[in-house]
Amino acid sequence: MKKRHEIASAKQDRAAKKSRSPFSAMHTGPGRALTAVYGVFALSATARAGYQVIREFDVAPVAYSLSVIAAVIYIVATICLVIGNRTSHRIAIASCLIEFAGVIVVGILSFTHPEDFANPSVWSSFGSGYGFIPLILPLVGLWWLALVGRRIRAA
Amino acid sequence: MFTVFTIVLYAVSAVLVIWSIVEAIRNRPANTMLLGATALLLLLLIVQLVLSIATFGSTDGIDPLLYFGYVITAILVIGLAGFWAFAELSRWGPGVLAAAGLTVIVMIERLDQIWQ
Repeated sequence: MKKRHEIASAKQDRAAKKSRSPFSAMHTGPGRALTAVYGVFALSATARAGYQVIREFDVAPVAYSLSVIAAVIYIVATICLVIGNRTSHRIAIASCLIEFAGVIVVGILSFTHPEDFANPSVWSSFGSGYGFIPLILPLVGLWWLALVGRRIRAA
Repeated sequence: MFTVFTIVLYAVSAVLVIWSIVEAIRNRPANTMLLGATALLLLLLIVQLVLSIATFGSTDGIDPLLYFGYVITAILVIGLAGFWAFAELSRWGPGVLAAAGLTVIVMIERLDQIWQ
């Protein structure tokens, strides 16, 4: 299938001609990989939070409520990256900031109040159960969103 | 779990991840072969689902919601990533596949832990 390769440039030209929000750059180039990782986190955090709430909510209500909030924020961020306009750019920045604050606060609380965070959630121990990706992801997200915003202002 | 089958799952996912990273570095969109490998992994995960439904009665102490939640999420991740890589005609098609493949490797490990 050499054709897929050739179609690629033609498709990019067509996409460029279409009048689209400059903020759609959010989900192009490296933004694609970012959107995909957010999608994976949205899916897996929702699955895990759903399981925790259905099966063992009484064990750690605080931690599991935070799991649900984390899942919702990942879903919001994913949708905003996919939509890619001015408003969704702002909402995406806000959700990255909330995410980062969440990882830090829950990370600290899981060490100072281990009894409330005995069972792991996405954000406990600074996301160590998920290879610290929850800690790095909002920073990468903010960097990328800032880069997209700066390019648009420069243009 | 099913030892031999689990090893096959690990091997196919690992090949998919490495191959995707190589293609992404070479700046190529996902070709038919790579999409075929993704389809193979998807098929194997569905076989895993069927096998575990068939033998679930012989196990005890496994929460079906937890176990099948993982299996179905893994199937969704690979299915969606495969569709994305098919539609995406840039290096980020394989990039998405690599991210999905890594996720599935972790999920297979979790499945194996839950089954024991």
